[in-house]
This record gives sequence, C-alpha cells and structure tokens, in this order.
Amino acid sequence: MTISRRDVLKLGGTAVAVGAARGLLAPGPAAAQAPKRGGVFRIAGFEPQGFDPQQTLSYRSLTILSMTHSRLVRMKAGPAVRPGTTPLEPDLAESWSQPGDTAYVFRLRRGVRWHPRPPVNGRELTADDVKYSYERFLTVAGNPARSLLDPVEKIEVLDRYTVRFTLKEPFAWFLDVLASTSMLIVAREAVETYGDLKKAEACIGTGPWMMERYEPGVRVTLTRHPEYFLSGLPYADGVEIAVERDPASRFAAFLGGRYDFGPEYAMVLRRLDLDVARQRKPGLQTAEFVLPNMNMTWMKLDQKPFDDLRVRRAMAIATNWRDLVAANAWAHGHGVPNPAVPAAFQEWSIPLAELPPEGRRLYEYDPAEAKRLLAEAGYPSGFSTPVETTAGYGPDYMDGVQAQLQNWKAAGIESELRLKEYGAFLATTVAGKFDKVALGLFGNWTEPDSYLYRLYVPGQPSNAGGVNDDKLTEMIGLQRRTFDARRRREILWDIQRYLSQKAYYLYGPSFSVVVAWDAAVRNFAPNIGHDYGGRLVAAWLDR
Amino acid sequence: MSGYVLHRLVVAIPSLLIASFIVFALPRLIPGDVVQLMLEEQASGSNLDDLRATLGLDRPIATQYVEWLGRVVRGDLGESLWTKRPVLGELARRLPVSLELGLLAVCFSVAIALPVGILAAVRQDTVADYIARSAAILGLSVPGYWVATLVIVLPAIWWGWSPAPGFVDFRANPWGHLAQFVLPALILGVASAAALMRMTRAMLLEVLRQDYVRTAWSKGLRERAVVLRHGMANAIIPVVTILGLHVAQLFGGTVIFETIFGLPGMGLFLFDAISQRDYPVIQGANLLIVAVVVATNLLVDLLYAVIDPRIRS
Amino acid sequence: MRASAAAVWRFCRRKPLGAAGGLIVVGLVALALFGDRIAPYDYDETIAGARMRPPSARFWMGTDNLGRDVWTRVVFGARVSMTVGFGAVLLGTALATLIGVTSGYFAGGYDTVVQRVVDAWQAFPFLIIVLSLMAVLGPGRLNVILALGVAGAAGASRVIRSATVAVIGSAYVEGARALGCGHLRILARHVLPNVAAPIIILATIGLGSAILAESALSFLGFGVPPPYPSWGGMLSGSGRSYMYQAPWMALWPGLAISLAVYGFNMLGDALRDVLDPRLRGTTGGPIR
Repeated sequence: MTISRRDVLKLGGTAVAVGAARGLLAPGPAAAQAPKRGGVFRIAGFEPQGFDPQQTLSYRSLTILSMTHSRLVRMKAGPAVRPGTTPLEPDLAESWSQPGDTAYVFRLRRGVRWHPRPPVNGRELTADDVKYSYERFLTVAGNPARSLLDPVEKIEVLDRYTVRFTLKEPFAWFLDVLASTSMLIVAREAVETYGDLKKAEACIGTGPWMMERYEPGVRVTLTRHPEYFLSGLPYADGVEIAVERDPASRFAAFLGGRYDFGPEYAMVLRRLDLDVARQRKPGLQTAEFVLPNMNMTWMKLDQKPFDDLRVRRAMAIATNWRDLVAANAWAHGHGVPNPAVPAAFQEWSIPLAELPPEGRRLYEYDPAEAKRLLAEAGYPSGFSTPVETTAGYGPDYMDGVQAQLQNWKAAGIESELRLKEYGAFLATTVAGKFDKVALGLFGNWTEPDSYLYRLYVPGQPSNAGGVNDDKLTEMIGLQRRTFDARRRREILWDIQRYLSQKAYYLYGPSFSVVVAWDAAVRNFAPNIGHDYGGRLVAAWLDR
Repeated sequence: MSGYVLHRLVVAIPSLLIASFIVFALPRLIPGDVVQLMLEEQASGSNLDDLRATLGLDRPIATQYVEWLGRVVRGDLGESLWTKRPVLGELARRLPVSLELGLLAVCFSVAIALPVGILAAVRQDTVADYIARSAAILGLSVPGYWVATLVIVLPAIWWGWSPAPGFVDFRANPWGHLAQFVLPALILGVASAAALMRMTRAMLLEVLRQDYVRTAWSKGLRERAVVLRHGMANAIIPVVTILGLHVAQLFGGTVIFETIFGLPGMGLFLFDAISQRDYPVIQGANLLIVAVVVATNLLVDLLYAVIDPRIRS
Repeated sequence: MRASAAAVWRFCRRKPLGAAGGLIVVGLVALALFGDRIAPYDYDETIAGARMRPPSARFWMGTDNLGRDVWTRVVFGARVSMTVGFGAVLLGTALATLIGVTSGYFAGGYDTVVQRVVDAWQAFPFLIIVLSLMAVLGPGRLNVILALGVAGAAGASRVIRSATVAVIGSAYVEGARALGCGHLRILARHVLPNVAAPIIILATIGLGSAILAESALSFLGFGVPPPYPSWGGMLSGSGRSYMYQAPWMALWPGLAISLAVYGFNMLGDALRDVLDPRLRGTTGGPIR
C-alpha cells in the first residue's frame, strides 16, 4: 500500500508515528488505541438491484450484501493487507483441509447465528445451509456467476458442522473463488418463503449487520447483528448507505461531512478533487491503490482486418495509455498499463519489463510504428471500422473512449462510433453480438483466473472475440490445476507473455485511485473487490 | 354545466385508452430484453427462457395487453420485474414527491411571473420592460441542471456546507421535508416563469390598449387597482391553462432534478424503469402520469367553465 | 426587395430586443456555416501538452481535460446545435402543420379521431416521450432530431389547428369553396399563408427549446454522441466533472446555450408581437 510520508504525518497521533518508525504495514500501532463501540458508518452507495447474491454481478447489490452475509472464507482486510493482494482467512469455516487434489473439507464454526428475523429467526447455521446455498448457486435460473463453480461436482454434508466439496478436476483457485462476494451464503427459509431474494425482507444472512430498512431510491439502513459470530464485532452500531445518483451531489455531501468515506465506488475520492477535499476536511485519511477495472477493446478475430496480428499490434501501439490516464478525473495522471492479468493483482501480474520485446512494444506509444505495421499488413493508408460502446458508463469513460479513438485516428484508423444505450449494450454487445470492434470495461473479478478463463477459453461468455487457441487453452487449464503458488505464477507469467505476443484483445490502463476516509474512522484500509463488509467489520469510529 | 363536464369526461376516455396502448407497446420496442439485462453479461440459452416464463413474458403481446388492462381496471398494476414490489405501492410513495415539487414550482413561477408580467405590460417598451423580459428569458435559457449543480457544489467547496443526503420524510421532519423541495422548485419555477410572464403581459396589454382604460389608469391608484383587477381577470384563463400544462410537464419531466437533489419522484422512477426494461413499472408509471395530466386538464377546463360563463352554455 | 429591407428596418426600430435576438441568431447560423474556417483547430484534435489550460491568447477559451481547444469545440458545437435545433423544428413543424391543418380543414370524424390521438400524445410529459423514443431508437444525432421533432409536434399541432379553424370560417375560403376550388388550392392559397404566422412563432421558440432539450438529454446520456461536440455534451459531461478545477470547460458552452436560447426566444417574442393580429395596433408606450 503506497501511503506517502505526507499521508502518514497527516494521519496524526503519536501512535501512528511510532508505526511509521516500525514500518508502515505493522498492524500493532493501529490497534494500540482501544477500539470504540458505537456510531454509524455513513456511505455513499447505489440502488441495489435486489438482494440475491446469486442473481447479480452488480457492485450495487454485492457491496451491501457483503455487509449482511458471510461465506466460507474471505479476503483479509485492514491496514496490514497490501491492496491488490488477496490473502484469505476463515469466515464461516473455522478451518479446512484438502484430503485430495479434488476434495475440500470445511469445518464450520459452531454457534454461528442467522439474523434474528423471520422466517429464519436467528437459528444456528449448519452444514445443511452451506450445501443448500451452493446447490442453489449451481442450479438457480439466471445466475451470472455460475461458471465460477464449474469444477464443482458435488457437495456433501458430513456432519452438522462439516461440509465436503468434491471437484471434477483440480482447481487451484477454488478457495479464492469461494472468497468472492458471489459466494455469500443464503438462507433456505428466506428463499422458500419469498420465492426469491429480491425483496429486502428476504435479505437475511449471518453477516455483521442486518437489514433494518430499505427505502427504494433513498437509503439502506443496516443495524448491528447482536449475535455476530466474531464476538465484540462489529464495532459500529450500524451502516447507512445513501442512494445518491449524481457524482456532483455525492462529492458535495462528502465535503459537507455527510459521508465517512470517499463518495465513489470502493470509497474512492477522485484524485482531481483531492486538494479541495483536503482543504475542507482536515485530517482526511487517504491511501492509493490500483483498481483492476480497465478499458478493453474486443475485436472479432475472424473478420478482416483483425485476423492479422500486425493490425492488432498496430492498434495497441497507436494507443497512448498515458493519454487516457491523464484525461480521467479519478486517475488524474496516475495509472499503470495492464498485461493480460491486470496490474492490480500484485502477486500475479507480470511486470512489463518481463515481457518479450514485441510484448513490451505494445505499451510504447508510437504512431509511426503503428502506421508501418499497418502498411506491412496491407493497409498503407489505414482503414475504417465501426466501434460499438455505450455512454452508460458515464462521461469519464466516454472521455477515455474519445482519447483512444483520437489516438487511432493519428495512425490512420478511422472509427465510426456507434453508441448503444446501456441496457441494449449489455444485452447485445457484451454478449458478443457486435460488428467488428467493441469497447467496454472489464474488471469485477477478484482472482486472476477469471480474466483468462472467461475471456480466452472457447465458449465462455466473455470470449467475445472468438479466441480459439489450443495452446492457450491448455496453458490456462494447466494453471488452474497447479497448486504450487510459485509454479502457478510462472505459468501465469508465461500466459501473459504469450498473450502479449498474440494481442487477441487490447488492454487499456488501470487507474491508480485515491481512497479517502474521515479522520474519525480507524482501522480501515481499501482493497480490490466489493467486500465492503470485510473492510468495515473491524473498523471503528472515534468520535 | 354538468353536460359540459360529462362531455369532457367522455372525450377523455378514448384518449386514455390510446395512451394506455402506447404506454404498453412502446417499451417493448426498446432493444434488449429485460431478462438479458437482469443477467448483465452472462446470459446463457436455457436460463433465459425459464426466466421469461417466470415473468410471464413468453405469451403473445396482445394477450399480455388485454390481461394487463383487465388488471389495471381492477386497480392492480402488477409487480416490478426487478424488485418484486407492487407497482401501485411504489407509485403511491413517489406520487406525492412529484406533486409537491410540481406545485411548489408552480407557486414560485406565479410569484415571479405575475409581478414581472404586470411591470412589463405597464411599462411597455421601456427599459424596465426590456429588462423584465430579458430576465425572464434568461431564467429559462440557463440549463436547470447547471444552476442546480452550482448551487449544490459551490457551498460545499466554499463553506463545507451540504444538506444531509437522502430524502427526508414528512413524518420524520416536516420542515426539513419541505426545505428539500425549495431549491429545485425555485429553479424549476424560474424556468417556467418566462412563458407565464409572457402570457400575463400579453393579456394585460390587450386590456390596457383601450383608450378609456388608459384614461382610467392616469386617474390614480384606486382606478389603477380596478384596471389591474380587470386585466388579471382577463388573464386568468390563459394563465390557468399554462399552469395546468406546466404541472403536467413537471410531473414526469423532472428526472434531472430528482437525480441531482435526491428526490424519489416519478420521473426518476420511470427513467430507471426504462433503462432496466421494467415493463410493469413503465406501464404503471406512464399510465399514472397520463391520468394525472388528463385529470389536471379536466380540472382546468372545469375552472374555465366556472370562471367564464360563456363556455357553460 | 426594398420593401422587405424597409420592413426589417422598421422591425429593428420597434423591437430592439427582437432585433438583438435576430442578430444573435444570424451570428450563430454564421458560426455554424463557417465554423471550419473560423476555428483554429479540429474539433477532436488534441494538442500535445495543453491539458486544462485556462483561457489565453493561444486558446481563447482554454483547453479541456483531453487537451482540446474549447473555442474550437464551441464553434463546432454551434453547427451541431443548429443542426439538431433546425432539424428537430423542421420535422416537428412539418408534422404539426400536416396534422393541424388537415385536422382543422377536413374536420368531422377524421378531426375527432386525430384530436384524441393528439390528446393522448400530449398527455405525456415532453421528456418522457423523448426518453422513450431515444431508448427505442438508440443514441445518435439523427435519432435525437427524430425524437425531439416527434415529441414537440403535438402541442404545436393544436395551435395550428386553431388557426386553421379560424381561417376556414372566413369569407375567402367560403367563397373559394363555393366556386368549386380544389382542396389543395384552398389549402395552399388561403389556409397556409394565414397559418404562417403561428408556425413561424412556434418554430422560432421551438429552436430554443430544442437546444435546451438536447442539453438535458446529454445529461441523461442520450445526447448527441461523440465525436461531434455538442454544447449540451460539453456542459453536462466533463464540464461538470471539472467545474471547479477548470470552469472554462463548462462556462463557454453554457454561455453559448444561454445566448442561443435567449436569442431565439427574443426573436420569437418580437415576431409574435408583430404578427399576432390580436396585438396589432397596440399603441405601445408606457402608461403614464
């Protein structure tokens, strides 16, 4: 986590200064002050799209559900965790073992209680609940995250507190996948009573806070779960998520002290606004990290001229990723280029210096070289192509699109921008139905496997370009089966090297964003993913 | 009189029916199936059809329309496809918000337009008239969302002041509840004041151009008061017409203000429903908006009949 | 020729505000027509090393976050705004005239049915119709024109119908009918010229509304799509994001919108004063 010296000094207090001497990442000093119970976290959030973690991929719902539900394992949170790394720790499962390559046995904590709300009424969570929840995950109609658990063959209850998963084949990412917010465990009675989990009344979990009130279009109010299984937690009495649509209003409210955390997704404060915010809010705490979300360019690989590697490489070389980073208000000049595994994944993404020369070349802006490649491929005066995308991601995104298309124009690639309405875009373009080139965003996953499996394996939903490369598919399969982390990383690096030479898709940069939280908030730190609950459960307010 | 009212009512019914059909058919023309949207990016064949069947979207359109109409007549507007909450309930929550905003905006509009219109008419073609008319037009030529943004962001930056986010319910805090409407209603009111001002000015001019009126005016304050009353009485009908139109337009056309000021009104509800292809909500909300507009127009017509005896016969 | 020049001069003297509005309109149209010769850069040209520069001698209105000259984009934005405005108004007026005139002229059952449809159509708030149409058609400059034109036609058709009804009762039309003149002849020679005044007034004011509506659509994500700069898009997009750090990004397109709407409305007002028979012969001047 790159906290600058300036930030550390601003955090104030001798406790933290001591921490600076011992090393910024040591957990000790942050906990030196005794946590206070009480207070309500106020967050700028979004309108949830129902309360069913198995029917949505949207951060709008999952960020809220991460506060009310739990899963077997979860990502560690807190100032000791470097953002972009995903160390796991027990959540509902107090321990687990792997008797074989394809078998996992989880021993659940005893005394975990569901929220004291009808129809579940605070009874104890058992292995049957886990089995039920995951079987629903695998069978319920319309689960967009379903393929995450493709390798699972069956789930068995061994005894009241023990569950066994049997996989069809070894899957080294299984635990990481289980830590994702899509794996939140739901209650059978809620599903059976309400038919589905769209209503707020059905939002019943085992998480640190419970659903108290949902006012559509206004706010979601959560209150402490009196029998949360980690005793003493959560410190905060409740969480209030205000549904605030307009970024300008959100920012104004943040400045006015109405929110305890940065007003955007992942508690981000736009870097553009950082100076103003620091003036208005003395003692503001900040941290920086790289978001995994990135602009992606999909091309239909079976159509001219995108079937020619030289053309694809020319398009990459013609794009100046630094332009995009400079033009964006969140990044305001700070960002990093992405290989096939986003740079946000500190442990798995390959440093550009390790790429082969042609791969590195892709990230070095050179319109002259791009033109030369195009001429070599038979397009000396460039070519023209339709480009589909949507304005639904907001004006910041559209600025980035324009920057990219301008870059291409300088190299002779004329684009005919075809904008689609957001819904139509999701239904067609993202599903692969587009005409040659499509631009979009990608980056909701918290493990690197999804960035390769979903995009490059034939038949997978995000494989919009139609990639069918046996060698690649085999390598992706291999890393999925390799348990040794070091060896797996080598394979991932090989894949990224290979992909940098193939340029099947073009990757835009990721932004290095600033996350901000109020001076009164303690023991909080950001990370990738939607797990607001994990990051807030041990945080507290000093007011 | 009752014959007139009856006639207007009868005439309204076919309009409502036509409107209901438009309301039903139009959203279904929007590309992108609601089911595909629900699954965001990861749709796969068989799942979609199951989901469609669950939502009742697999039957022929005509059947769906007739069924829907039947339920509407019984007061059942169905459930949202996304949240499963009854549409009527949601509308009942949001209708008052839009109504309050609209009515308050109209109040501000009248409060601005009437004095300015009178001034402009009385001082026709002088500097005062030019300034008044310019100011009114200026009020409508600055995009509302821009003024709204300035009004919200600048105080926060300069003084660290911002209203608490989230809508305040009337029961929780009556004054706070009303206060949150003031700014958006003011901005909306200023924008719609121009048309009203024009009308007031024109109507008053029509009265004032008669020589005997001008003579009366020059005689003193009491006569002036009489003239003004006479002029305003003349202006009432077209003014009320315009106000009626404005309330109607304000009803669904306040999406932007609802977004910026965080007011859970009809406009935003409908806009979201369109984006999400939530057909029952689109249909229900549209139908309600149309019904309110028709009712408002009817009310205006009734007011006409009351005010202007010529119409009654 | 001389007569019309004299008429224009009289108009300017009697209605200085309207003349000012007219001047603004003429200026904007000129900007739209000759934009590419006036603007120093290309509308999507990014100038290296010139991000978010305040107004200066080199960049009269500053540059935006992508390094594009704001003055250039405002000039080209005039072209876009005029195209959208005139296009929408042309379409809307044509539609409204067709419906209003035929409905008023042929009367009877046709009129009743058409008026019920117009009622239904007018019952929808303007923005709702536009948004629904845009959702169906998808983003695009032509679609914006279509949506704005269709949405605005209902109310206008009412006014035109009233004017038509007033005209057909006149002696001229009665006489022409008695002489056995064909419908088309009557429409062309008698009805349309007399309906011209309200049409002109509606069109002029409609232009202002169209520009405002486009800016509202931009805020909601349905405006004129890039790469064409539209004032609404500049104002509601990154202009809003950077409003504190680079206010010039929003200030100039905002002023342009306001100026355009002001001009069209003032002109329309003045035309109405001059052409509206009810107000003709107003002695004018303040009452003492």
